[in-house]
Amino acid sequence: MDAPYAIEMVNITKRFPGIIANDNITLQLKRGEIHALLGENGAGKSTLMSVLFGLYQAEEGVIKKDGKEVKINNPNDANDLGIGMVHQHFKLVQCFTVLENIILGVESTKNGILQMDEARAKVKALSEKYGLQVDPDAKIEDITVGMQQRTEILKMLFRDNEILIFDEPTAVLTPQEIEELMEIMKNLRAEGKSILFITHKLNEIKAVADRVTVLRRGKYIGTVDVANTSKEEMSRMMVGRDVNMVVDKTPAKPKDVILKVENMTVASKMHSNNAVKNVSFEVHEGEIVCIAGIDGNGQTEFVYGLTGMEPLVDGKITLCGEDITKESIRKRSKLLSHIPEDRHKHGLVLDYPLEYNMVLQRYYQPEFTSKAGFLKRGEIRAYSERLEKEFDVRSGQGPITIARAMSGGNQQKAIIAREVDKDHKLLVAVQPTRGLDVGAIEGVHKQLIAERDEGRAVLLISLELEEVMNVPDRILVMYEGEIVGELDPKKTTVEELGLYMAGAKRNVTIDANTAEIEPSEVVDTAARKEEA
Amino acid sequence: MVLLLQYTIIFASVLCLVALGGCFSEHSGVINLGLEGIMVMGALGGAVTMFLLPAGSAKIVIVLATTLAAILVGMLFSCLLAVACINFKADQTLIGTAMNLLATAAATVFVRAMNTSINPDNVSTSIQYIQPKKAFLKYFGKFEFNWFMLMAVILLIVSYIVLYKTRFGLRLMACGENPQAADSVGINVYKMRWAGVLISGFLGGLGGIVYITAGVSEWKFEMGVAGFGFLALAVMIFGQWKPTNIALAALLFGLFRALSNVYTGIPFLAAMNIPSTVYNMLPYIISLIVLAFTSKNSRAPKAEGIPYDKGMR
Amino acid sequence: MKEKKSLLKNPSFQSILTSLICIVLGLFIGFIVLLMINPAGAGVAIKTILLNFLTRASAAAQMKALGNTLAKTAPLLMCALSICFCYKVGLFNIGAPGQYEAGACIGLYAALAWHCNWVICLLLAAIAGAVVGSISGALKAYRNVNEVISGIMLNWIMLYLTNMVLSGKKVKDPASPYTIKLASGNKSALIPTAGLNKLFANNTTVTIAIPLAILFAILIWMILSKTKFGYELRATGFNKEAAKYAGMKEKQNIIVTLAIGGALAGIGAAFLFLTGYQEWSTTQTSVPGMGFNGIAATFLGGLHPIGTIFASFFIQSITDGGALINKSVYPSQISDLISSIIIYLCGFVLFFKFAINNWISKKDKGGPNVNDVPVKDDAAKAEGGEK
Repeated sequence: MDAPYAIEMVNITKRFPGIIANDNITLQLKRGEIHALLGENGAGKSTLMSVLFGLYQAEEGVIKKDGKEVKINNPNDANDLGIGMVHQHFKLVQCFTVLENIILGVESTKNGILQMDEARAKVKALSEKYGLQVDPDAKIEDITVGMQQRTEILKMLFRDNEILIFDEPTAVLTPQEIEELMEIMKNLRAEGKSILFITHKLNEIKAVADRVTVLRRGKYIGTVDVANTSKEEMSRMMVGRDVNMVVDKTPAKPKDVILKVENMTVASKMHSNNAVKNVSFEVHEGEIVCIAGIDGNGQTEFVYGLTGMEPLVDGKITLCGEDITKESIRKRSKLLSHIPEDRHKHGLVLDYPLEYNMVLQRYYQPEFTSKAGFLKRGEIRAYSERLEKEFDVRSGQGPITIARAMSGGNQQKAIIAREVDKDHKLLVAVQPTRGLDVGAIEGVHKQLIAERDEGRAVLLISLELEEVMNVPDRILVMYEGEIVGELDPKKTTVEELGLYMAGAKRNVTIDANTAEIEPSEVVDTAARKEEA
Repeated sequence: MVLLLQYTIIFASVLCLVALGGCFSEHSGVINLGLEGIMVMGALGGAVTMFLLPAGSAKIVIVLATTLAAILVGMLFSCLLAVACINFKADQTLIGTAMNLLATAAATVFVRAMNTSINPDNVSTSIQYIQPKKAFLKYFGKFEFNWFMLMAVILLIVSYIVLYKTRFGLRLMACGENPQAADSVGINVYKMRWAGVLISGFLGGLGGIVYITAGVSEWKFEMGVAGFGFLALAVMIFGQWKPTNIALAALLFGLFRALSNVYTGIPFLAAMNIPSTVYNMLPYIISLIVLAFTSKNSRAPKAEGIPYDKGMR
Repeated sequence: MKEKKSLLKNPSFQSILTSLICIVLGLFIGFIVLLMINPAGAGVAIKTILLNFLTRASAAAQMKALGNTLAKTAPLLMCALSICFCYKVGLFNIGAPGQYEAGACIGLYAALAWHCNWVICLLLAAIAGAVVGSISGALKAYRNVNEVISGIMLNWIMLYLTNMVLSGKKVKDPASPYTIKLASGNKSALIPTAGLNKLFANNTTVTIAIPLAILFAILIWMILSKTKFGYELRATGFNKEAAKYAGMKEKQNIIVTLAIGGALAGIGAAFLFLTGYQEWSTTQTSVPGMGFNGIAATFLGGLHPIGTIFASFFIQSITDGGALINKSVYPSQISDLISSIIIYLCGFVLFFKFAINNWISKKDKGGPNVNDVPVKDDAAKAEGGEK
């Protein structure tokens, strides 16, 4: 036992075309510790874990197990080394029982017939030892998400894995289930298992982790002891202090209410909880409101509900004084422009030429379709050319370029051009700068501010802290489907914002228009328990 | 009445075998629309073997050789589906349809070429097997028992055990339900899908020879197998991809098929004067209705029809 | 060299090239089969299959044979258009044979029992096909039933239903299993030849159905590429999510598409049975091959309505050519074999195109071109960030 580390990843560098996903990262997991891996979206956590699991090969750096260098070329190698992972999206067969899922791949047989009794006994013993209550003969589709996760954990334990990776395990759990998971993780640690815990929730790190390694934008920031580090310090490590991007803008002059959302609740497709819970707020003419938050906290579902792509469970949406709660997407689009989160899935018909994509929201209007139902190709071409020029959309062959062949930045510019140019009172921009380079990002921000100055309302949904701090006039923080705080970007700090986004803080505003905000600590059961 | 029972059982055996074949393929994640074609090829393999075996061969030799030939040819033909859909990720509907057309055309060409080469004046597309067929039959009073009936029952039980009680079955179904999950625990999805398709070739080929020997002693290969492969597909859906239910569905649909053949011999049915086409139509109509009411929570394997790509995790 | 490469990059050229690859490979395998049966006449046989009517002795006989081929190309083209149209909207209309049967059923019944003229018969056939098509569509849109499965079931249901309906006293020839010949039953139901028959050595099966089918192909092409309706349908076919985002009505589009596909297949049946080329056999026990051959023509035509015209003619021509080869040596079904091999190979078209593009990008040396790699490559993954 001379090597103190169960697994070490030393100086790992992994590049993708145009991006260095992991830049010289070192991660050392001690035997019998819970080690958190902290970072924002896109910090490189998943890439690092994919390297450890053999899904990707790193260009530089080595992986050591118990001090000895090892090669991991595929997930089977990782399994052989005793590394197991609970994926964010569970790898379970829905119509199989818990037991069948656990033994899949490592079944024992006698005369060719599966021996379930032995396996059942082992699973029962493991569940008792670690406090993982789950019925081995229940079908996965009938049990809760929390139990499904326990099945995944049992899968690792059944294979006698020593190194357990949890990839954002709390994202899909209820608060009670989270608390139970924390207990389970502590039990596992007590039994000598080494745990890597990927998360961006500071309270959870405080509650269970011994040490934490922080990544930011693909770079290694540092490894610290959790006990000696405050949440504020961790938050600063995660988001960085140097928010030096300055966006030129005048103070907002909000006027009439354009969008009013009351008690909006939207169901989730991932789990049985609602993804958006009882959200209410207003957006005025001439202001940019940003919904900030970490990915997967209900922003996507909120936008689907707002734009009509998913029905609401409950609530009311008023746009320019008109109740649009039950209106079609087409009807809403008369007043609402929508820059979607996923430009490949929603924003573009990738196999259509650019010009056809430019009129995706307007093709049916008399400007582009004759009374007989024929497309006015000349007008479409001219319109596309005008937008390309105005918004500097570059492509190989101009309007006839197939959208698939354009660069990501230009695809995004085309969508923005289309949405901004069409008639609207409200612009919903979801992560409009995702995947763009610095110059393009600046252009998009200018566009949003121009929209505001022309008297429209802008609702920006963003995960990028710099964007959140600089572009909007008001910030609403969404955490687990709720608006947990309203902040003034001029008066708040990145650290404070980080605390809200990580669920460590919340304030309750009675009047959405009050600029004065009183932050107050939230009661977080897990955190409080740890301190007690 | 005995005739009705006999026809019902033999048709049910065919449907059961072929539907089980489809069941294995779909549980591995590959939709097999080429069952009809696989049956034709199996029928061809078996019929040619019976035709070529020297007269007076021992019964057991005839039964075994014919069965083996049908199975082998069926499996070989199913490789066309496996290569295209598993390795080259081709459209499974297109390939299945092509296989059905290909099988009938190839069988016809083969039989005609064979007939012509033996006797230049023989341009028929039929194979006769009156004598060798007797090897399969045993009479219990009026009831004509066919060894294939027993084979179908045995294979039904074996299928059930393989699917639900063995490591192979568990892994196979995992590949059809969630190939990513199977891959993550070290199962080779491509291999399992190949296995599933080959088993469908095995059972489909066998079903083919059972079908053409069921009622007649000569088969005209231009006709293919008259839609029995598609009927088996309906049986599989009606049986909700479960062997026991498939067996029951096969009995029901076999009964309809038998009725269309023999209803004139049953006084009270003949009196109702329902055209035989109605009995032929019923299985499809029932399947369609069942589909309409169960598709939203169908037990169809979730990943069927989607080519698996290791790169996409 | 540069020009050659840019030609290779052209998607239409790629489609034609891959279709030709399929044809050549299919013919090659067919040729090998012929060689295996009898090496002596294989060369002549494959030539006969390819040349079809051109092998006839006199010019008049050639024209007459060509007329026959054309007369059968028209219905085949309609079935192919039906499948092509639906495929462009992301639906595999394997139910075309069933819609074709419905068209034959109502078209012939109207002609023989109700003594309607050909226009009415044609319209009724189209409506019948559309109804069957929209059953599949409605099942897909509202009950989530895969259109392939419902299509297959409907193919058989319609086959038996048609057999039953056309066995009626008023429509069936009592002496044979076939329906009454239109020439004796109801001449007004025959599609007019408008003098076209004179061009083809007085072959009366050459009717205005042929130019009409070509017009339909052009019409379908126009609808798909030039109209608002086609714009919507194709967008739905390419990217259902984006279509929804743009406010298009997905469910309605599915039903309408399959209804139109059904109408086309129904008209296809009318184009065969209302020319007097052949009668419906009420004892047939297999789904007519016309609809399935339509699948071949669709894919061989590069999924383009205009390409489908040529592909349909090619398929029909080799089928007829097969009937002309030396029957005492070779089976005429050899051409069915060739066309089914071609359909099978069409399954590899995407792979062929991918291989061509790979080859180009390797030649270009500039690393993978965004144009050439599918979206699921690493670059897209990295750009998408962590998930």
